[in-house]
Amino acid sequence: MNMHKIISGLFFTLAMTLNFGFFYGDPTQLIEHSAYELFAAIIVNLIATVLKLGDRTQLGAVLLATSIVADIQLIASATVWAFAEYVASSIGTEAATAIVSLSGGALLANAVSVILFVGDTIKSKR
Amino acid sequence: MNEQIIWIVLKRLRTPFLVIIITFAISILGLVLIPGTDDLGNPYQMTFFDAFYFVTYMASTIGFGEAPYTFNYPQRMWVSFTIYFTVIGWFYGIGAIVALIQDEGLRRALNLNIFRNQVQNLHEPFYIILGYNGVTKTIINKINGVDYRVVVLDKSTQKIEELILENFYPHVPASVGDGTNHQMLKMAGIHQKNCKGIISLFENDMVNANIATVCMLLNKKIDIIIKATSPEQVAHFKNMGLEHVQNPFDIISKRIYFGLTSPHIWLLEMWMYGHILKLKGRDRFPQGRYIIYGSGRMGKAIAEGLKRAGIEYVIKDFDSKKYIKQKESTIFGDEEDMQKLISLGVKESACIIAATKNDILNLTILNSAKQLNPDIFTMGRENSLDDLNIFKAAKINKIYVVEKILADATYNFISRPLVDLFIREARKQTEEWAEVIVNILNNITGMNPKYFETQLNDENAYALSLELNKGESVTLANLRRSRENKEEMLQIVFLLLKRGDEVYLMPDSQMNLQIDDELLIVADEEIYEDFEYIINNIYELNYVLDRDEKNHLSYFKPWGKNGKTNA
Repeated sequence: MNMHKIISGLFFTLAMTLNFGFFYGDPTQLIEHSAYELFAAIIVNLIATVLKLGDRTQLGAVLLATSIVADIQLIASATVWAFAEYVASSIGTEAATAIVSLSGGALLANAVSVILFVGDTIKSKR
Repeated sequence: MNEQIIWIVLKRLRTPFLVIIITFAISILGLVLIPGTDDLGNPYQMTFFDAFYFVTYMASTIGFGEAPYTFNYPQRMWVSFTIYFTVIGWFYGIGAIVALIQDEGLRRALNLNIFRNQVQNLHEPFYIILGYNGVTKTIINKINGVDYRVVVLDKSTQKIEELILENFYPHVPASVGDGTNHQMLKMAGIHQKNCKGIISLFENDMVNANIATVCMLLNKKIDIIIKATSPEQVAHFKNMGLEHVQNPFDIISKRIYFGLTSPHIWLLEMWMYGHILKLKGRDRFPQGRYIIYGSGRMGKAIAEGLKRAGIEYVIKDFDSKKYIKQKESTIFGDEEDMQKLISLGVKESACIIAATKNDILNLTILNSAKQLNPDIFTMGRENSLDDLNIFKAAKINKIYVVEKILADATYNFISRPLVDLFIREARKQTEEWAEVIVNILNNITGMNPKYFETQLNDENAYALSLELNKGESVTLANLRRSRENKEEMLQIVFLLLKRGDEVYLMPDSQMNLQIDDELLIVADEEIYEDFEYIINNIYELNYVLDRDEKNHLSYFKPWGKNGKTNA
């Protein structure tokens, strides 16, 4: 058992689950998607990214790449939200769908991270 | 290596990033959750954007005031907590980044990276020099930018800093690194196509042996120029297949041998190293009994030379370190020492050679010997170039500066291969031969002629190579004519001609030249310049070859088909 593995595993999985929690629901109804959940997803994703910084293994590099993708998608989602609310001063259906689908993209990246992580664990079990 | 730097930086940044993210997250969340009051007194909830905006400028201590509305007390209590919280996190992050920039390991990685890039960007042929010291500095000064470029590796940071302060031009890429480490050697470009060779002249034979072995394994094609000070070590290197073993003591021994048995061969060699081409009385080695003081590597080598020359000698064991310890002084010459010298027969001897490791001891030994026998011929070993002036002032007849001999020999080998070859060939000849050569040179070129090396190819001899490529035959005698008046001879001597593996000492003047012949030429600078004109300029060459000049001009006339003109 390796403390670092536990922690990074935790953050990768948590990033995916939180993201799923935000993503789940009618994409046109922003009321079904909690801003708190998006915030948590962003923070957890950032932490997961930082945990992979400087990992020279092949897997570490791929995990870093996928979690950076998730960061970009989620931050874009939050930016769209803030922009729609304060600059366009109303959140229409288009903005709402964009916010949710951006997080959906991040969810895919998260899923890839988790699959890679699990795969590596299974492989090293031997 | 570039990659590695990024990894080092990223890994070191993990904790500061984590700290900043977590402190920000907590502060933002707190602000969002705490109910606020707007300017009309209505309850109001901060959004994530408001909170993010506020925390961002608060944490970086910019502080634009309370936004979007003035805070109420619960908010202010939270903010006063988060100020300390985030500012500490922020400062920790900045501190960690600054520390990283100053980090020794990172700086080393960066320097190595710069060094590697510089080496990769060398396009001229270059030598790798291991160890920076007096000898290699002389070599760098002589060859850097002239014939080759140089790359230096040295174990000590101080030495590399010294080198950087020298400001060599063109730039000499240098790095701290161990010469026996194959990673460092690779970085210094041992695998590069334009790497000509490696020079390792360390004091310690074991180190040189190590380096030679590693380099042989890494790249078989390069020249490995290595120093060895004992005959066993030289034999070992030769067995390994290394041709260029520099043994300064062997050079000294040979010089003494030739100085005693055939002074003109000695003179030819010394002339190549800058002596004037004339035997002066004080240059001659005296005949008689020799005393060698100190039986280290140099003492033994000299004894070997004397034995071959059939000279009577005594060799005195002398441990300079032990002497200094016992007498607590580096000055030789108290009553006991004088007695020792007398018992060695100073008064009856013709020459004394001080060959200990300590320069001051050598100096004082020779001085003491002179006090006892003012007519004695003195020779001294000097280990480093630093106190050359003291030795000169002491009026010692011959000084052997080990460092200088090593540097000169290495330089000749690298940049003056024909000179090196000539010295080796000349040593096989007789004294009479050498005397004739010296006379010829003196008569034709004077007392202090210069020597030049050239190869007859497109680059160095354009006109001549055109001529030779056409299949015309040109002899050395043809080229010896003056371009001002072809009936007159240039004051020039062709000392050696190298064609492939064949070597012709004093080549016959009727010999036909071939392309890519290498010539060792003796002349003064002006005459050599004339010679260069002749071999490069078509008109000059035609003139000295006694061709019809009009004939030549026809090349440029469109109607002069058969080469004959009516002009």
